[in-house]
Formats: sequence, structure tokens, C-alpha cells
Amino acid sequence: MIASEWLKLRSVSSTRYAIGAAALVIVLGAVWSFYVGTLADARGSIRAAAPEEGFLPLVQISLALVGVLAVTAEYGTGTIRPSLTAVPRRRALLAAKATVVAAATTLPALAVIFITHAVSHLIAGDRAVGYNAGSFGDDLPLLLGSVLSVTVLALVGLGLGVVTRSTAAAVGSVVGLLFVLPGIAPYLPQPWNVRVGAWMLPNLVPQIAGERISTRLDGLLPPAAAVAVLAGYALVALVAAFLVFERRDA
Amino acid sequence: MCGAPAFPDREGVIEVKQLTKRYGRARAVDDLSFTVQPGHVTGFLGPNGAGKSTTMRLILGLDTPTSGEALVNGRRYATLGRPLHEVGALLDANALHPTRSAYNHLLWMARSNGIDPVRVAEVLEQVGLAGVARKKAGGFSLGMKQRLGIAAALLGDPGVLLFDEPVNGLDPDGVRWIRDLMRSLAAEGRTVLLSSHLMSEMALTADRIVIVGRGRLIVETSVKDLTERYDSLESAYLALTAGSVEYGAAR
Repeated sequence: MIASEWLKLRSVSSTRYAIGAAALVIVLGAVWSFYVGTLADARGSIRAAAPEEGFLPLVQISLALVGVLAVTAEYGTGTIRPSLTAVPRRRALLAAKATVVAAATTLPALAVIFITHAVSHLIAGDRAVGYNAGSFGDDLPLLLGSVLSVTVLALVGLGLGVVTRSTAAAVGSVVGLLFVLPGIAPYLPQPWNVRVGAWMLPNLVPQIAGERISTRLDGLLPPAAAVAVLAGYALVALVAAFLVFERRDA
Repeated sequence: MCGAPAFPDREGVIEVKQLTKRYGRARAVDDLSFTVQPGHVTGFLGPNGAGKSTTMRLILGLDTPTSGEALVNGRRYATLGRPLHEVGALLDANALHPTRSAYNHLLWMARSNGIDPVRVAEVLEQVGLAGVARKKAGGFSLGMKQRLGIAAALLGDPGVLLFDEPVNGLDPDGVRWIRDLMRSLAAEGRTVLLSSHLMSEMALTADRIVIVGRGRLIVETSVKDLTERYDSLESAYLALTAGSVEYGAAR
């Protein structure tokens, strides 16, 4: 059944385009690194952001779309009926989909984020550009946290796709979680701006690495708690999906 | 058709028992009971909105009945382990991903039920799509999509087959082909439940007839019986469903 779901996912062009869009970050990261390299040459040293962090939202959105389309394309085209006719055990079908989506997004995310990191360090060389101040070991928690955030977003996308059955609604909800809610949180009255802000999806990645959320905002959650909250997003979306999918007429 | 059947006397039988499906206040299927036996093509007739497609979805476990039950081989569809080996269905020929090839559409189905990939090539050959197997299904005509849907139904070599309007969009060659296919599947001892609005075609293809209207059973009999009592299947259908047409011009 996993093999069947894997074939479904890789046999449509949207999956290839989405992974291609995520891979574009490697190119964008290289361009960024060249640019900050020339700035460093001119000024001696600068403090530039790491491209795999700066462009992370592009990886997150592209690969979340893989999760969304894994199910909304089935509702959109009507193939959900042949799917459920072939596999009437709905929980097993959804579990296979979730497994395949997790694998098909985690591996590209891992590749894109680590290659972008490596390329940006190669291009920077021994110039002090800011993002190459720490060792690879220092950067590792942030890199792994970033990869995990992509997996979580893809599973959240899958779950919202099952619940809404609509590509637009599911993608809109993912964008809301990633950009809209975190944008609103800082305007809450203290101390809720920090408390709520710390639970926002994009703010969890720096907290996993034990870093400040932003120059203005300290982290609140210890790294292990931030990992748990991040995984919790996927869990909530998937539990909702299983409950709905089990009962609904197809 | 794998191993000893759990209910030998119900092998190949579709049993619809007091089946009711309500959507809100509307009763799409209303206390419907009938039985489909193997070895025949059973025509499933009724006006638009009579509940034919809903009944097929209920038989396939896609929708949950409000009350009553539908059994295939003596079991509810949802309890079948590898259902494509027992039941094949074509509900909607357009249910295809436009960028997935015909071959991959059948291959994911084969993999989900442990069917040998060799069967994919066989059924594509059987329905005449071997030459376009690697083409994206989005570019297919309705007739080609119907053939692909029939290939999918035949994939697991099932004993029970359900076809919802498989003739739509086919050219005269295709219509003739479907007729011969349905009859040969029944002659092999399989159960064939076939819905269509084409009465002349149905008269040539089916042996048994189930007519429904407004979700209820109108008649369950043989084509021979109907054509003896009325002068043609079409006349029989029009007379029997006159009170059940929901969407029709004023007469």
C-alpha cells in the first residue's frame, strides 16, 4: 500500500514542480552568498543571515503543497473513489499517505537545506559573513529543526487537505499558520505576545536551536518543548483528518 | 476468487437489503432491496436522480447507508481484504489525475491489492489502450477514459463487476465492444451490474433488469418478461417509470 501511494505521488507532475521549487532555494542561496561575499570584500566583515534560514519559508510552502495535493488532488479529480474502492480500510490508506508524504518531503528538505548550507559556506570561504561564524555542530540543531518544520508543514497540509477537501482552503490555512498568525501574535497585549508568539510555527525553529525568535523577541520554550509543540501541529492536523476521513461519504 | 469463499452459495451475489440513504431530508435510496446473481448481465435502470449511482456507491462502501445493508459475496465491501480481486467497478470514467499516465493509473491500483504488474499490460491490451499506455490520462477522450475505467475494473480478475454508464462517449465500435465484453463476462459466470439510459443497447446486452425510481424498487425481473408484457424494453421502462421522473419536461 505504501508502494501504491508512493507511485501515486511521484507519477503526477505537480510533485516534481513542488520539489523543483524547493530546490530553487539552493540557487537563491548561492546568489545570496555571492552577494554577501562581495559586501564582505568591500567592508571587511558583515552579519548576513544564513540563506537556508532566510529562504526556509519557500521550502516550507513548496513541500507543504506536496502534502496538500497528495489528498486534495484526489478529491479534485474524483480519484478518491477508486482509491477507497481499492483500499476500503480508510485508516490504513491515510496512514500510508502520511508515511509517503513525510518521506517525500523530509528527504528533499534535508537535501535542499544541507546543500544550501554547504554551498553558502563554500562560497563564503574564510570571509566573515556572519552566518559562517559558528561551527557545523553549532548550526546543526537549527538545520535539523528546519527540516522537521518542513515535514510537519507537509503533514499539516495533508491533514488540512483531508478536512477541507480543497487545495485553496488547505494552502490558505498553511499560509495562515506560517505567515498570518505569527504576524498577529506580536500585537497581543503583554505577556501574551511572547507566550502565544513562542507557539507560532515559524518561531519554533529558532527555539529548537535555543536561539532568540527575533532581535526583539526572546525564546520561551526549551528546545525539547519546541520540538514537541512543532510535532503537535502535525499530530492535531492528522488526528482531525483521521476522525473526518473515517466517517465521511466519498 | 481467492481461496475458499466464506459463503459458497453467496459467491458472486450482490444483495441489497432494505437499503436506505438519506442526505438531509432527501431519500436518495429508500428501503431498496434486490439481488443480482452471477452468470447474467443485470441492467440497472431508472430516471436521473433515481438513486442508481448512490446504490452503487453504497455497495462499494464509499457511502455509509442510513439503514439496511449491501453485501457482495455475503460480506460488506469494507470488510474485503483485497477487494479488487473480488469486485471491479467503473463509477466515473473522469475520475483520473490529468498528469498521470494510463499505465501508472492502473499500476497504483495493482500495487494496492498485490496484483501482478503483468496484469496492467494485459488489461491495457484487452481494452485497446496499449498504444497510449504512457500518455497522460488528461489528454484522453471520454471514450478512451471509459476504456481505461473498464481496464481498472477488470484488473483484479474479479467475479463481480459494476459499471455505471460505461457506454457514454464511446463510438459505435466501442458500444459494440462493450456489449460483447459484458456478455462474455457474464458467460464466464461473473456477475455484471450495468447501468445505462440507452434502452435499445440494454435490450441487447442484459438478461435481467432492476428498475428503480425515487430511490425505490419498481421492478426486478427478466428482459424477456418485460418485452413480452410491453412491446419493447423502452416501452416497458417508460410505462413503469412514468410516475417517478423527477427531472423531465412537462408532458
